[in-house]
Amino acid sequence: MLEIKNLHVKLADEDKQILKGLTLSVPKGEVHAIMGPNGSGKSTLAYVLAGRDGYEVTEGDVLWNGESILDMEPDERAAKGVFLAFQYPMEIPGVAGLTFLRTAVNAVRKKRGQDEMTTPGFMKFVKEQAAKAQHRRRNAEAPSQCWVLGGEKKRSEILQMAMLEPTLCVLDETDSGLDIDALKIVSDGVNALRSPDRSTLVITHYQRLLNHIVPDKVHVLADGRIQKTGGKELALELEKSGYAEFTGKAA
Amino acid sequence: MNVAIPKTKAEQALTEAFAASASKLPGGTAVKSARNDAIGAFSALGLPHRRIEEWKYTDLRVNFKDVAPPAIDDATAVSAEDVRAALGSVANVDVHAVVFVNGRHRKDLSTPGAMAGLEVQPLAGALTSGSDAVTEGLTTTTGPRSDATIALNTAFMTDGAVVRIGNGATLDKPLMVVFVTAGPRAHLTSVRNVISAGDGSTATLIEAHVALQGAATGGQTNTLSEVTTGKGAALTHIKIAAGTNAAVHLANWNVSLGANAEYRGFQYTSGQALARNQIHTVYTGPGGKLDLSGAYLVRGNEHVDTTLVVDHAVPQCESRELFKDVLDDRGRGIFQGKIIVRPNAQKTDGKQMAQALMLSPDAEFDSKPELEIYADDVVCGHGTTSAELDGDLLFYCKSRGIPENEARALLIESFVGEALDKVEHDDLRAALSQYATVWLNAPRS
Repeated sequence: MLEIKNLHVKLADEDKQILKGLTLSVPKGEVHAIMGPNGSGKSTLAYVLAGRDGYEVTEGDVLWNGESILDMEPDERAAKGVFLAFQYPMEIPGVAGLTFLRTAVNAVRKKRGQDEMTTPGFMKFVKEQAAKAQHRRRNAEAPSQCWVLGGEKKRSEILQMAMLEPTLCVLDETDSGLDIDALKIVSDGVNALRSPDRSTLVITHYQRLLNHIVPDKVHVLADGRIQKTGGKELALELEKSGYAEFTGKAA
Repeated sequence: MNVAIPKTKAEQALTEAFAASASKLPGGTAVKSARNDAIGAFSALGLPHRRIEEWKYTDLRVNFKDVAPPAIDDATAVSAEDVRAALGSVANVDVHAVVFVNGRHRKDLSTPGAMAGLEVQPLAGALTSGSDAVTEGLTTTTGPRSDATIALNTAFMTDGAVVRIGNGATLDKPLMVVFVTAGPRAHLTSVRNVISAGDGSTATLIEAHVALQGAATGGQTNTLSEVTTGKGAALTHIKIAAGTNAAVHLANWNVSLGANAEYRGFQYTSGQALARNQIHTVYTGPGGKLDLSGAYLVRGNEHVDTTLVVDHAVPQCESRELFKDVLDDRGRGIFQGKIIVRPNAQKTDGKQMAQALMLSPDAEFDSKPELEIYADDVVCGHGTTSAELDGDLLFYCKSRGIPENEARALLIESFVGEALDKVEHDDLRAALSQYATVWLNAPRS
């Protein structure tokens, strides 16, 4: 279970408070959505959960399965099962997607006390996970060219998520820049990962992603705090009324 | 006003060493006379210093302090296994090897037999037995005039490879010329390769400068390769200087490209206290293509200087340069790249890029690109960047479970990889990539 308790976060090198007492719990097996206007602190929350530099926690705590993760390096958090899907996925120039993935998978397995994967074992695992996430190969003529090599960054991000077998998935505006078909494919991937041992936090500005990834709960984040929590119908209300009610409260 | 600059200890020692050893250096009367002229020229020039524009960042009056005795007729015991160990991963590349130990050809360590289309002769023999016309070709260079490092090379050169690739020949494996530093005593080692690639020939030449484990440190190496490519020749030339143990490593490449010739030069340098790599290229016919690149891994107090001149003397030639420096600790990387486009060199296409990755706040990168363009219908550009490791990418790697030091190594390899990708020979590229990995994982002092 993820427990975020009264979290206060400011930018490390600027006197700017972004999160101002955010409290939230995501039990195992549940998918929660965080919706909010631009500048409400959504991405900051995602980065603080993953352990990015540049933020300072001034108050509060984040517990994952009862253990505070705030002092852990990002790679230790990854080993504990935390995975952040980036709004704009990155690639390392000149490093093939599968090479990177294998390095990551083996780093995580090593820290979890599991055996490192051999090349054939790894390739088999890639195929299984890609199939599970209902990713079809883009080109049946070139069976060795798994779609992950095709540069479809968002989808490759979801495959990474499947491969690293996280227990806490944080998706930061994963719908940005996706057309409706891509959105559906990415959502299928996320839904395939829903399981009783996994907590998922979907951060989004728009309701449309939540038609595909149906959340157990929806939280409205504005001005650094959770302003309202409800069921999936809350997302539809927000789609109609917008965030004015909450930003008004903030001002 | 003419003020005589007092000679440094090293300048004096070099002229004295020449006087003491001249009679033992290979070559007949004509060669001896060329050597005498060269030491005379050096004596007048002195060691280059920071007030000479081309040497602004590498002051040899300050950095070239002690002169080790010249290595002449060295007979240090070295086994083939020693050479393999010194070459590391590069030893596994299938090549035709010609080995020199402390500046002397070692037939016993070289690949026996011949390769079709290739003639290799040790320079010492060529200097001794060649006609005056031959030795004139061996003692002159197309490099810059009034260059002290070239003058010293001509004065002191003991050996090297004289390579002739026949017209239309395609070498079926690379020729690797290996220069090994060995033994308990430091030396001044001076070697020269004279390479001519015949019209329409295709070849890969590797020059590897390495030291045996436990070899003395503190010597000096001075190496020069004089390269002429014929019409339509395709020559790949790779220089590796990896931990030569030398306190000072001075290197010159003087390359002239015939019409429609393609020359791909790559230089790898690591573990080098002070290196000055000079590359001087000139086109002698239209349609020449030049691709120069390099990777330099610098740490501790090391200092690696790459200074190149690309002289577009004729029209319709292309030049590309990509140099990548990884600088850690107090390491210093220098890149000076001058592209000259002569008035008649229309349709010149030149692009140059030098990039440094700064791993430490105390590292220094000095980059001085220069374009001298006298023609009006040309495309020329240059760029230089220096940056730290990308914090976003570092976080990305760590968020995927990769520990900090592995993530850093991955990003450094990605940076260097772009230059290494210029090496088209797969096994060699893999071997050099392995060098970079070994460097990254070396225990830090």
